[in-house]
Amino acid sequence: MLFNSLHFLTFFPIVLAAYFSIPQRWKWLLLLSASCYFYMVFIPKYILVLFALILIDYTAGIIIERAQGRRRKRWLAASLIANIGLLGFFKYFNFASANLAAFFSALHCGFVIPNLDVALPLGLSFHTFQSMSYTIEVYRGAQKAERHLGMYALYVLFFPQLVAGPIERPQNLLHQFYERREFDYQDAADGFKRIVWGLFKKTVIADRLAVFVNEVYGNSGAYNGAALIVATYLFALQIYCDFSGYTDIALGVARTMRFKLGENFNRPYFSRSIGEFWKSWHISLTTWFFDYVYSALPWRWYASLLFVFLLSGLWHGANWTFVLWGAMHGFYMVVSILTRETRRRMVAFLHLDRAPVLRKTWQQLATFHLVALAYVPFRAKSLSETWAIMVKIFNFSDWRLPLHFKSDITGLWIALAAALLLGCIERAQRDAWGSISFPGKPPIRWVVYFAMVLIVVCLGKFEAQSFVYFQF
Amino acid sequence: MALRQRSRDEIYKELTDVFRDVFDDNQIDLSDETSAKDIAGWDSLATINLAIEAERVFGVKFLTTELSRLKNVGEFVSVITQKLGR
Repeated sequence: MLFNSLHFLTFFPIVLAAYFSIPQRWKWLLLLSASCYFYMVFIPKYILVLFALILIDYTAGIIIERAQGRRRKRWLAASLIANIGLLGFFKYFNFASANLAAFFSALHCGFVIPNLDVALPLGLSFHTFQSMSYTIEVYRGAQKAERHLGMYALYVLFFPQLVAGPIERPQNLLHQFYERREFDYQDAADGFKRIVWGLFKKTVIADRLAVFVNEVYGNSGAYNGAALIVATYLFALQIYCDFSGYTDIALGVARTMRFKLGENFNRPYFSRSIGEFWKSWHISLTTWFFDYVYSALPWRWYASLLFVFLLSGLWHGANWTFVLWGAMHGFYMVVSILTRETRRRMVAFLHLDRAPVLRKTWQQLATFHLVALAYVPFRAKSLSETWAIMVKIFNFSDWRLPLHFKSDITGLWIALAAALLLGCIERAQRDAWGSISFPGKPPIRWVVYFAMVLIVVCLGKFEAQSFVYFQF
Repeated sequence: MALRQRSRDEIYKELTDVFRDVFDDNQIDLSDETSAKDIAGWDSLATINLAIEAERVFGVKFLTTELSRLKNVGEFVSVITQKLGR
């Protein structure tokens, strides 16, 4: 079920009303049933895959907690293999077989593995990572094994964050299912504000920008460098508004029911370095990779960093383009760490420390452009298309923007004006985490909120366009 | 024992300079118990910068897994001492 669909618009109020009307002891069951229904709207039979995974990890958790020595390690390994195996089977089987076939054909060896004709279960990369987080934390002794199967199932299936995160840690989420929850006006108001804010980002900005990005990237051969540069900038805005908009809705929905999910974004495009960008973009995934993979690698920092970023690229999709995206970010990180001292000397030499605003602006612009450049492989369909687009982008001979877009140009202007508003608001909230609240007394605030809803309803693009990160 | 103690003190002094340089803060004073919670901005990335500086100053090399096991500065100093003694 999509958050930006009519289906959800009826589903959510019913669940919310029922949630606060029934006794505490049945609340978990309601949430679990609602979550199963939410998931089954996509492909019903895949819920069985999730149930199997839940049973394995639930059992593994209890055994890991009770066992000693090697047995604990074996059960952790069993849980990790089950999760990664399942992810590998659904997400990477065809990618691996195609690459193996290409490899063997290069060696003139007729070796063919049949392709699997299965759709990827929605959000599999997200909930397998959340499940692994549970068994790893139990193994580390940081989380008690959950004895209530229903509660554990809810930890994996909780519908606000089921298909695209935030990837939660058991320490943050599991105990919340046990807490007593009565309706709270403030939480409900905060939750709904966040939902509207998320819908604004998704329907007014992301989906409107997507029309142009899809037009240019869908036929990249027909457009010149200038158009591709603009489309890449627009894609940077689109993907941020799409994913952070989804996250706002997820956090807002959870908040109305008085759950607090982890923040996933912190104004990433205002980052002053690539390191800062990764601390503010898809935070739950970055911390997952750093806490569980990076920290366990027996290599020097640069090798570990590159590996983690390559893996993060592959996590996004079974395509070399995503691996290249990860490699670019890994390369940026390593270079930025290695050049830290040189850059510091340069700042002193140029006396840039006396012009902090100029320095900050330069750092933000440079970081944004590096991130935007890496979006080329992220958005392109193949490595060869990436290469062709890069060649056009860096061939500075043709600067004329083509003015013959098929799509409605008004939509683009609406999206850009909305993005400007978003940028101004984000800039004004210095330390706030994505949450939105306007100053002023209640009547003025209410006018602003009403205007926001009106903007979403009137200017939003409600064609139930899926979220970009759902495919991962 | 006295020699060992002194070298640990020296390591402390040099490591304090490394921390002050990485975090750009001359007020930092280290103790065995100082941990990531006590210094603003001490995260995985800062740990890499600390390791690179420490590698340069002490002439040793660290692996990612060694660094991520450290709970506080005391353990960091112990790892450096151990590596220098090899």
